[in-house]
Amino acid sequence: MNILLSLNEATRAVNSGSNRINLLEDITLNVNEGEFISLMGPSGSGKSTLLNCIGMLDSFTDGGYTFLGQPVHSMKEKNRSKLYKDYIGFVFQAYHLIDELNVWENIETPLLYKNIKSSERKALVGDMLDRFNIVGKKDLFPRQLSGGQQQLVGIARALIGKPKLILADEPTGNLNSKQSREIMELFSQLNKEGVTIIQATHSEANAAYGSRIINLLDGKIVP
Amino acid sequence: MLKNYFKIAFRNLLKNKVYSFINISGLAIGMAATMLIGLWIYDELSYNKHFENYDTIAQIYQNESNNGDTETSEAIPRPLEFALREAHNDNFKHIVMSSWNFPWYLKYDEKNINFLGSFMQEGVIDMLSLKIINGKPNGLKDLNSIMLAESTAEKLFGNEDPIGKILKLSDSFEMEVTSVYEDIPDNNSFSDLEFVMPWKFYITWQDWIREAEDHWGNNSFQAFVQINDNTTMEAVTNKIINVKKERSPEEAEFNPEIFLAPMKDWHLRDTYENGVQSGGRIENVWLFGIIGTFVLLLACINFINLSTARSEKRATEVGIRKSIGSHRSQLIFQFLSESFLIVLLSFVLAFGIVLLSLDGFNNLAAKQIVFPWTNYQFWIASILFIFITAILAGSYPALYLSSFNPVAVLKGTFKAGKYSALPRKILVVAQFTVSIALIIGTIVVINQIQYSKDRPVGYDKDSLIQVPVMSAEFSGKKDFMRMQLIESGAVVEMATTSSPTTNVWSNRSGYDWEGKPEGFQEDLAWTAVSYEFVETLGLNLIEGRGFSREFASDSTAVILNETAVKYMNIENPIGKLIRDSDYNDPDPAPPLKIVGVIQDYIVQSPYEPVKQAMYVFDAYENESYYNLRMNPDRSISDNLETIEAVFKRNFPNVPFSYQFVDEEYGAKFRAEERVASLARIFTILAIFISCLGLFGLASFIAEQRTKEIGVRKVLGASVKQLWILLSKDFITLVIIALVIGSPIAYYMMSQWLQKFSYRTDISWTVFALACSGAVLISLLTVSYQAIKAATANPVNSLRTE
Repeated sequence: MNILLSLNEATRAVNSGSNRINLLEDITLNVNEGEFISLMGPSGSGKSTLLNCIGMLDSFTDGGYTFLGQPVHSMKEKNRSKLYKDYIGFVFQAYHLIDELNVWENIETPLLYKNIKSSERKALVGDMLDRFNIVGKKDLFPRQLSGGQQQLVGIARALIGKPKLILADEPTGNLNSKQSREIMELFSQLNKEGVTIIQATHSEANAAYGSRIINLLDGKIVP
Repeated sequence: MLKNYFKIAFRNLLKNKVYSFINISGLAIGMAATMLIGLWIYDELSYNKHFENYDTIAQIYQNESNNGDTETSEAIPRPLEFALREAHNDNFKHIVMSSWNFPWYLKYDEKNINFLGSFMQEGVIDMLSLKIINGKPNGLKDLNSIMLAESTAEKLFGNEDPIGKILKLSDSFEMEVTSVYEDIPDNNSFSDLEFVMPWKFYITWQDWIREAEDHWGNNSFQAFVQINDNTTMEAVTNKIINVKKERSPEEAEFNPEIFLAPMKDWHLRDTYENGVQSGGRIENVWLFGIIGTFVLLLACINFINLSTARSEKRATEVGIRKSIGSHRSQLIFQFLSESFLIVLLSFVLAFGIVLLSLDGFNNLAAKQIVFPWTNYQFWIASILFIFITAILAGSYPALYLSSFNPVAVLKGTFKAGKYSALPRKILVVAQFTVSIALIIGTIVVINQIQYSKDRPVGYDKDSLIQVPVMSAEFSGKKDFMRMQLIESGAVVEMATTSSPTTNVWSNRSGYDWEGKPEGFQEDLAWTAVSYEFVETLGLNLIEGRGFSREFASDSTAVILNETAVKYMNIENPIGKLIRDSDYNDPDPAPPLKIVGVIQDYIVQSPYEPVKQAMYVFDAYENESYYNLRMNPDRSISDNLETIEAVFKRNFPNVPFSYQFVDEEYGAKFRAEERVASLARIFTILAIFISCLGLFGLASFIAEQRTKEIGVRKVLGASVKQLWILLSKDFITLVIIALVIGSPIAYYMMSQWLQKFSYRTDISWTVFALACSGAVLISLLTVSYQAIKAATANPVNSLRTE
């Protein structure tokens, strides 16, 4: 198995008044390609922060972070952004679709940022709509969809750039149990197809879909 | 990509109709105002650009000093021409002597029409690049020739070929039409040159002109020159500056300086103060340029404020885009393209507004601006204008919105910081500072005009008309005409004058009198008048009497105005003599005896003190105007009809024309009134735009605080308390703007008023008016939203949580 990313004593600290608080402390972790990891832990334990840092929306303040053999911690913004655009997709609890864009356009947007040609974009988005069975909804706007459908679009959008890694922050947190199950099964399916997934979750049932569970408490990995 | 951006922008526009309307209409109005001002400035700056030799044409000006005051004038003496040709001819391509452009009757067949024209030397044709469309290339060769402008030829000859036809000038001289030149378009000097006749005709025409040939002191002519390409205006001025002083020892005491006024300065920089160029219309160009920029900035501020105020709504989108791979620069580009789209829509609207309002604007500004459809520069300027506006309006919001941290935004913990509203507040203060300064400025301009209009004129200008003496036929008829006019019942009194009532055409010096200070160089406004001058104008005598037929000696009498008595330092003036300085000559002019002193009356600028003036009895038929005091007991139209009939009966060949003196007087305020009416419009626009922005912000704030208002209401707050709560922040900003704007306006308007000797004070009422107006308007603007929010049912706002 190839190592996708590795963290070496990675720390994320913030200043709160005169105190320095470690949101994440000395995280050491290797993730292999094809893994499906579930991050668990109570609220405030640092799950989201860890996802954001891995996803390069946020950055560690200390320690090493290597992604596909490249040192992210010492990388320039431009290269980091390229790495991130090419290999990482995000799925959010609140879906975070762009309200003013319809389903088709929401899914297309990441491709725009990758400067992909129009004809190719059409093909890729079309495939994705097919695959998720939402062709009929492509002209609808997010507010016209149910939560589950919105999250489906969110996942489709995360997948459109063919990422190696999907980061999902409580992807089913706003969904009922039936919708949750469907989404988790979709993740499971994607994982089988080779996509590495890291999800943060409160739910034991959801965590069980993963191949490995990592428990966080007060910003540290607990064995 | 761009398509995606525009799509978002467009959907946002449709979704937030109120904001879109405020943004687009505010920007459109601002842009339209700026475009109109831009067109106006372009028009002003392109004055005289029609002439091919624009860069090398100049007029010869003269500075002369009198008791330490230097006056600048374009009137020059005839011998100057010969001196220039003899000693400095190598500097000039052309030297063109010219008379003043003056109305003359041209008669052909039955048609006898009044046209403006000049007598000029032949060089004018090449100098002004007159385009000869019919006839001889040089139409000024023969003594009795006349060149007509195309429009003049058309009016006189219709479709006939005018070349070779004989016209009658003033019904007495026969002139042959030699050529027709293309009209000089509006917005150029000489655009009212409707015909040209040879200078050599002019100089043989009347004795005084002939005699002026060697009179260095007779400044009654004009000279235009075109300098050679290899020299400069300054260089030529340096060479000719002392030519008059050197050649005329008697004139040297006035320290005459001859210099070139380049054509490019004729229109924009035609004011001289103490012999030094001191501006002119260029000040208005700057003034309106600044106002235009400010109006545009105000509109941009609206855009900035509304975009940043709504930032929380756009923040999520920014976070999502960043999390799916957007770089900050791409977001900046997205927001800029969004503002570009809005500016583009506004421009289209502004374009329509300009097209619709151009006629009205022309009217107001006394311009003939034509929309420059075919001027590629205009289109380039428009494109630049769109980009500049988009960047002005869009860059701060783009930088601000694109800066959001996606982690914070997406977590939902994003709240605009405590100080995020500060730039917005500063911008609102800036908007109202400008608006208030404009309000105060406009009020002061209007006050100044009104103040000067209220200034006592010193004569009765109502129902007074002046009839120009247009023909030699009038000669010697004034007493006869007076009798007939009075008998007709339409006129109660009549007097002739050598200058119109509202101007002075002649200033004289070279007098001597008892008590004249040693070395005093007097400069007196001089007018020759007939017997009933004082009665006709309704002047107030302070001492002595007016001219009277009962005193034969009045043919050498003179009336002074009050200022002249003080100026000349004459005590007990009545009966004192004023002599020509030449009284030692063998044949001296008879001395003038002072018979009366009149109260000052305004002849020239209503903003300046009345000049020292002497009114001599006209013994030599110097009359240029018949002044008629119409019968107050009859209607004006009746009077005019009767008067016209009397003139027609006596001078059947001379078309009757007249002017109302009060209208002529009113014309003195026109330039300032034009500034005032333009300033008023742009001030209203500025206030409107500022209030539009305030309205937008208020509605946004009310919306943002809906929940707070609901809670407060449930807790028992009254509508009034909520209204105060919501309004006071804005009113505070307006009051801060008042505090900043008032002193700025005070300083600037004090400076502006300096150019008037007779000027109003800036009283506290101006500020009180401007301030209460601004507070009231902004309160009204804000209150609509505040009261709407305060009266909403709290159940609705709280339930939505």
